[in-house]
Amino acid sequence: MSLAELFSLLPVLVLAGASLLVLMLGLWLKHLPSLVALGVAACAAAGALAVLVPPEVMEVGGMFSAARYARFFLVLWAGVVAWTLLSSVRYAAARRFQPGEWVSLLLFAGAGMALLSAATSLVGMFLGLEAFTLVLYILIAFHRGSAAGTEAGLKYLVLGVTATAVLAFGVALVYASAGTFHLPEAMAGVAGDSPLRPLGLLGWGMLLVAIGFKVSLVPFHLWTPDVYQGAPAPVAGLLAAGSKGAMFSAVVGLLAGIGLGLRDLTPVLWALSGLSMLLGTLAALRQENVKRMLAYSSVVHMGFVLMGLLDAGPEGQEAVVFYLVFYALVSLGAFGVLTAFSGEEGEPQQLAAFRGAGYRHPFLAAALAVFMLALAGVPPTGGFMAKLGVFAAAIRAGHLPLALVGVLASLVSLVYYLKLVIAMYMSAEGAPPSGSPLHRGTRLEAACVGVCLLGVLLLGLAPGALLDWIGSLL
Amino acid sequence: MIVPFAHVLVVSAVMFVLGLGAVLLRRNLILILIGVEIMLNGVGLALVGASALWQRADGQVLVVFLMALTAAEVAISLAMVVAMKRRKGSLDADVFRDLRG
Repeated sequence: MSLAELFSLLPVLVLAGASLLVLMLGLWLKHLPSLVALGVAACAAAGALAVLVPPEVMEVGGMFSAARYARFFLVLWAGVVAWTLLSSVRYAAARRFQPGEWVSLLLFAGAGMALLSAATSLVGMFLGLEAFTLVLYILIAFHRGSAAGTEAGLKYLVLGVTATAVLAFGVALVYASAGTFHLPEAMAGVAGDSPLRPLGLLGWGMLLVAIGFKVSLVPFHLWTPDVYQGAPAPVAGLLAAGSKGAMFSAVVGLLAGIGLGLRDLTPVLWALSGLSMLLGTLAALRQENVKRMLAYSSVVHMGFVLMGLLDAGPEGQEAVVFYLVFYALVSLGAFGVLTAFSGEEGEPQQLAAFRGAGYRHPFLAAALAVFMLALAGVPPTGGFMAKLGVFAAAIRAGHLPLALVGVLASLVSLVYYLKLVIAMYMSAEGAPPSGSPLHRGTRLEAACVGVCLLGVLLLGLAPGALLDWIGSLL
Repeated sequence: MIVPFAHVLVVSAVMFVLGLGAVLLRRNLILILIGVEIMLNGVGLALVGASALWQRADGQVLVVFLMALTAAEVAISLAMVVAMKRRKGSLDADVFRDLRG
């Protein structure tokens, strides 16, 4: 690997290097706010380098791209990590998280997600994915005092390592059929008439299973509600916004090179998307726990994103990337409000805990209500534009029934999202005294939530700017 | 190649399926994790075989990556197993059923 190649990878190296630095510093420096400030500075530096310093080579080691698409996602994930660090300062301090390890692991997750979004070969994809999945195993179980957290971490771990093994076998089979890990050529093994084609197809099937697990598509979604419920709220937000988004941004690259092979995959993608929307909606309707409801809602939303991928043209990809940006903002915002509401011990999770919040915490509750409406796709929020984009993509690709399923799922989703809004605004009476009262949130937390709120509204009112930008990346 | 690629593939597939069987059927956490290791070793064998088939080294490089990855995974999973054992006093996967709704 030459110096020019390392230079092109510089923003990711800054994130990973800062992660190691913070880990070492954390041995002596136990002051969380200063380490968080260092972490946020590293994210800002990585983002600035990615925007301002043009890469010298476009592809590093045949594994990672340094093109504008990869740089765009690097900035997005660095922002997500910085946001998570800032919004969870009080949360992490109250639960006595080890400052050095907390900041360091979050930074490393950011580096892993950026690598995954930049992957141009199966090895790159595998390494990027594992870099942040391994970190997430730890982060989910980070709160040592929480039995639910440890259980959630263990469940994610056992299923996650199995999915990793399936992914690795898929990679091995594709390699066996094509003789290369590099993505466009690896696709040729499936498209052509070589005698090894069945191996390649089996490999792609296994890759799809593993990807379905990581982004929680039905029927590989079983871990999602438990992990969301048990994980600390900021980590659940990172999982929803970052890990799923990074996986999908890599899938966009995977399917872009597949060309004719998409025809063979279409029935599978169709079924995965339809099942995720239907079963996710049905399961979300029954939930009384807000985090579990958000988990099933994420299953439904991943079904929407997959629907957009059925149109492999640039317009379909544009819709998918727009959806990923919107979903990152809105899920960070929703989990940010949950983080702000969390007291010294525990988090508000049951619907009953939110009763009357609209009158006691006007800003945070209003923001949460807007996020719920955005998730349901009500105009003028970004959710409406995002859903419009993927529905249009599905119809362009000739999948009108699937788009209708999506519209139906969106309509029904209003029921479970409004349940939370109604709980907050229906009566001024507070929650039953048995639960712990909602925290009022610090100014920093309110500011973080405000950023997401602004973003979600801007995406709905003026989506053109972002759409044009995304169009120039692809 | 002295050994035909098909044979390598069959052995690696058998290892993979045996490992998957252990993951699905065993209820002891340690044995589940051993099952995953067997699956990953099956993958490694397939990669080495494919890399010999195509006369390229990159498949073998991924095997080395895979070993490093497995080591990291084992470190994390054993730490978590120890934490659970302390909390619940058991390694049975079925005792972890507090989270449901």
